[in-house]
Amino acid sequence: MDLSVGRARAWSERAPIRHLDPVLLLVTVALTAIGLFMVFSSTHQSLLALGGDPWGFVKKQGAAVAIGVLVLAVIAALDYRLAKVYAGFIYVGLVVLLLLVRTPLGSAARGAQRGFYLGGFQFTPSEWTKVGLAIMLAAYLAELKVSELSLQQVLRATVIAAIPMFLVFIQPDIGTTIVLAAILGGVLVVAGARARYIGLLTMVAIALLGGAFKLGLIKDYQIARLTSFVDSKSGPAEARYNRDQSEIAIGSGGLTGTGYLKGPQTNLDFVPEQHTDFIFTVVGEEFGFMGSVTLLALYALLLWRAIRIAMLSKDKFGTYLASGIAAMFAIQMFVNIGMTVGIMPITGIPLPFVSYGGSSLIASFMAVGLLLSIHMRRLTVGGVPI
Amino acid sequence: MTEGKTSARLKLLAWLCAFMFAALGTRLWFVQVLASADYQRQVQHNSVRTITLPAPRGRIMDMNGVLLAGNRRSLVVTVDRQHTAPNLLRELSALSKVTGVPLGDLRTRLQSNRYLPYTPVPVAFDVSKRVAFYLGENEDAFPGVDVADLQVRTYPDGTLAAHAVGSVGAINAEEIKDPRFANYDPNAIIGKTGVERTYETYLHGHLGQVRYQVNSAGHVLSSLTRKPAVAGDDVVLTIDSKVQRLAQSSLVLGQKAAHGAGFKAPAGAVVVMEPKTGQIRALASSPTFDPNVFVEGLTKKRYKQLFDDPKHAAPLFDRAVQAAYPPGSTFKPFVSLAALKEGYAGLTGSYSCPASYAFPGDTSGATFDNWNPVNSGFISLATALKISCDTVFYQFGADFYRAYRDTNQPNQVQNDLRAFGFGRTTGIDIPAENGGLIPTPHWKSTHFEPTTADPFAATWLPADNILMAIGQGSVAVTPLQLAVGYSAIANGGKVMRPHLVDRIDRPGGRVVKLLRPRVDQRLPFTRDQIDYVRTALMGVVQPGGTADTAFAGFPLSQIPVAAKTGTAQVPPFQDYSWFAAMAPAYDPKYVVVALVEQAGHGSETAAPVVRRILEGLFGLPLTNPATGSVAD
Repeated sequence: MDLSVGRARAWSERAPIRHLDPVLLLVTVALTAIGLFMVFSSTHQSLLALGGDPWGFVKKQGAAVAIGVLVLAVIAALDYRLAKVYAGFIYVGLVVLLLLVRTPLGSAARGAQRGFYLGGFQFTPSEWTKVGLAIMLAAYLAELKVSELSLQQVLRATVIAAIPMFLVFIQPDIGTTIVLAAILGGVLVVAGARARYIGLLTMVAIALLGGAFKLGLIKDYQIARLTSFVDSKSGPAEARYNRDQSEIAIGSGGLTGTGYLKGPQTNLDFVPEQHTDFIFTVVGEEFGFMGSVTLLALYALLLWRAIRIAMLSKDKFGTYLASGIAAMFAIQMFVNIGMTVGIMPITGIPLPFVSYGGSSLIASFMAVGLLLSIHMRRLTVGGVPI
Repeated sequence: MTEGKTSARLKLLAWLCAFMFAALGTRLWFVQVLASADYQRQVQHNSVRTITLPAPRGRIMDMNGVLLAGNRRSLVVTVDRQHTAPNLLRELSALSKVTGVPLGDLRTRLQSNRYLPYTPVPVAFDVSKRVAFYLGENEDAFPGVDVADLQVRTYPDGTLAAHAVGSVGAINAEEIKDPRFANYDPNAIIGKTGVERTYETYLHGHLGQVRYQVNSAGHVLSSLTRKPAVAGDDVVLTIDSKVQRLAQSSLVLGQKAAHGAGFKAPAGAVVVMEPKTGQIRALASSPTFDPNVFVEGLTKKRYKQLFDDPKHAAPLFDRAVQAAYPPGSTFKPFVSLAALKEGYAGLTGSYSCPASYAFPGDTSGATFDNWNPVNSGFISLATALKISCDTVFYQFGADFYRAYRDTNQPNQVQNDLRAFGFGRTTGIDIPAENGGLIPTPHWKSTHFEPTTADPFAATWLPADNILMAIGQGSVAVTPLQLAVGYSAIANGGKVMRPHLVDRIDRPGGRVVKLLRPRVDQRLPFTRDQIDYVRTALMGVVQPGGTADTAFAGFPLSQIPVAAKTGTAQVPPFQDYSWFAAMAPAYDPKYVVVALVEQAGHGSETAAPVVRRILEGLFGLPLTNPATGSVAD
């Protein structure tokens, strides 16, 4: 009798739900909440000016949050190792979706064909490809069971990443291509690719990019945006304008900012795409250096938890997957904020959890769900995973 | 837990992240703390100028694609009334010299209340490029004056279908508060009347926008965003411009003939309607106007003609839709059907047609005369319609009065008449429609007060029913309502919703809206009763009928016509001349109604007008109206 009671308690203590990562959850909630406030600040004036509902964007984003929370809960409740079993399906499914986007089923916006339009919402599969690629690479590399990767294995992993990268690149969406490359890099480093292999890959990537320029595969506006950060006095007016206005907005925020809803740059709609890619300018202008650093600190917490989960994982799949997710969040945060302050080229990368955009938000929630699932199931009983 | 090597590699990943935070942190420190003052200065210098791109207004075309309203480019001189020179008169006379627009007209246009106070007022249209350059080079001499290259509305045929098509003008202070125009620019040009007004939301399109970054000196640094303008939708009318032209010319010729016969005939209206579909093929009101004058700005003379001078008989007033008149004898077919339904008349009965009629028991000695002072003996209902015998209908009126007085059906005839759509608006798709009036005892008691001179002023009397039976008294209908009523007789009992618009096309070809035939209500009479009345009306244009002279020589064997004359008495004016026709009579394709104010009997002026229109509709040689015989 006593024995069975004791065992029951032991099992319940090991039940995954008791091993949630509260820090990770709180950081997610905080970043999402900040996002909703920033989206309101950057959109309510122009919506009012157009005679619309000032809460229009916030409501849509709120709906995406609701879906995201649901997705997060489901993924966290499931064992992440299921993702390993279905990695191939997920990967192939996403590649098919990326191909379908190019058919007339996909919808074009601002010169790029990136998503499907369904019931008033645009679905962007390239956002979900980020998570899907991390799963596929982690599954492939975890199967190898080696501590150092051969060149052949590195190349195979690269091919796995190159297919969606190519499909995303021709949409064209250089931002997501960079994120996918970073995921590949992050997983390869952790899985044990030698430094020279990674160096070789980098050189090939640079050569390919150069070739793409020469062949005119990259559109003019992308070249302009990419190069304008090098010299703010060159480049076409529009590309320079994006960069200058966002820097002016952030710089004018000073140490403590102008206060919420009081930023003149934000209210007068000076920064294009402010509620999506340039949302950090709202934080910078209205909350100043203090606000910016607070947001950076939240991302630091997020990355710390992701890398910690990679370390705690009971199997290699979990480690690699968490590493890929960490690399994904890190590169997005870095390139996005970097471009708003002029140290990174301007590419369309959303700021995780904060930028307006349902697909990106849901992808970020999926990633956190996977991290939570790895964390909750990190324990082993006598060396055997439970 | 991960093995040692993996752990070391994860630390490498962590260091990479740390490097990212360091890079961002130092850059933010530089931008937000060290260089912040510089950026704050730039915020002050930053400003954006927004220029709206006008959306071409949708076109209006007739059923065959003939353009009735389109757009053209025009160099327009505008004056901003809040920035003119202190000596406005001197500035305006200089402007008058440059543009060639008389000073008086410039002043009239500037005083126009059609524009909001802060909106630049267009004062000269279609100025030459030279004038535009001159004004541009001498900016200082003309404060507040600007030249704009605008898309302006143009009506290529001017007066053709002007009342139906309507006109445009600047949005006014009241309209701007209307939720329909919530997203409109304060300078917007919107539809004011006619189809231009009803279908404004389709025709308007969406403004585009270009945003420029300007520095504190106002110089453009760069263009930022560009939202292209979206052209408005094209509206295709049911109007056939050939039929419309025919209707307008026939009406004017009819008025001229009436002038020759000593009538004033200042105004009139024509409706040509397809009884099966409710489509309006022509809608004419005379005198008419040229909607281009509202685009080009009014001169003093034109303003007087359009609004003030009674001699010009209010040309903006659409008499086909907005004016209600006593219908006179054109009402008798409807009263006949009411009498048949209520059992006061029968298809085989005969009724006495004396020269005058007195209500039994009325001791005042009041009599109601027939228009023709002879006794025609006992006649059928069909003959009563053919010769338009008033006294037969007085007796029906008396029957209706008794029903009011003695039974619990006080509004018997009124209900039957309303079944044709009288007494309410038809719902045609242009604004400001008049619903006319079918008087009832209740209406009379609420609109009049008994006085000592007339203690029965508010009391429903036999005369009210008796006069209603011949379309007089307080009965009032619009020419359009009469066309709808005749269409219901023509199509076997369906009261169709009349409409002027056939469909709306998005530029590029997609049909956004298609107006299908719509039955508003069905007549409460039997098919036999309706057919009897329609057949009886064929007698009107035949020998012995009231319109036989007007239709002398018309090939009735080819194109049988069922019709009715009407002469409305509107003292102290001359009689109003009505005529309503259905053709071909056995299966009418068209209903044509004409009204000419102060033009004598129906057979005199209105019948020849309708005859000419019918000739045109059926490809016969046209007979120009000469005054017909004098018959009701």
